[in-house]
Amino acid sequence: MMNRVVPTIKLYDYLIVPIQIELDDTTVEAMQEQILNEIDEKRIKGLIIDVSMVEIIDSYISYTLTETAAMAKMMGCNTVICGIQPTVALTLAQMGVKLKGVYFAMDLESALKILESIEE
Amino acid sequence: MSIKIKEEKDIVVARQIVKDIAKRLGFSLADITKVSTAVSELARNIYRYAKEGFILVKEKKSGEEVEIEVVALDNGPGIEDIELALKSGYTTTRNSLGLGLSGVKKLMDSFYIESEKGVGTVVIASKRRRAF
Repeated sequence: MMNRVVPTIKLYDYLIVPIQIELDDTTVEAMQEQILNEIDEKRIKGLIIDVSMVEIIDSYISYTLTETAAMAKMMGCNTVICGIQPTVALTLAQMGVKLKGVYFAMDLESALKILESIEE
Repeated sequence: MSIKIKEEKDIVVARQIVKDIAKRLGFSLADITKVSTAVSELARNIYRYAKEGFILVKEKKSGEEVEIEVVALDNGPGIEDIELALKSGYTTTRNSLGLGLSGVKKLMDSFYIESEKGVGTVVIASKRRRAF
């Protein structure tokens, strides 16, 4: 039985992951594993990570998020990160963090629209 | 305030404590996030490279001026080439963007680092409260 650290919602071919917990390094790694397993098991084509509740995203969390997106991509799944708080965006930009290989959206609805438009 | 960094969860503890202090001192939401993120990076560096160390958080007040000073301190292996370590994108470990230490410098108002091989590393960084 895999370790589930975040709740997930399957919607059509999409997997929605709302992060509502404090992300320590172990949790981030466990979350990555959980997401990849679910993409495989549930045949997911689009991943939406909702970070609107996350108040601090540091360089390691950023690294793991982009790595997860890269891995998902290899499995045929696109990733959208949605709801980055303005202060978090400001901090990441100032640090020079670039989240590569990921799509961004303001909210869940726009994230779904992005995934739909990629598939067309 | 002194926070011992020994386990991975101490990284989260450190950033939470600093966040609360910055909030109490009336820092803007953006600056609270910046200081907490900087502390998260410093604490992780301690945990990753030195295994253990301390984060000290000081509140400095003089008249209207309010400042948070963060000191990260360890007896780890030390940094051979500080200039290189401060370069964006440089890292000696996998699972890293190499933006931690350089990020701290960018997020804070002042930044000082001293390191000696085999002795340890000390980073002192501070941020002033801004009127907004």
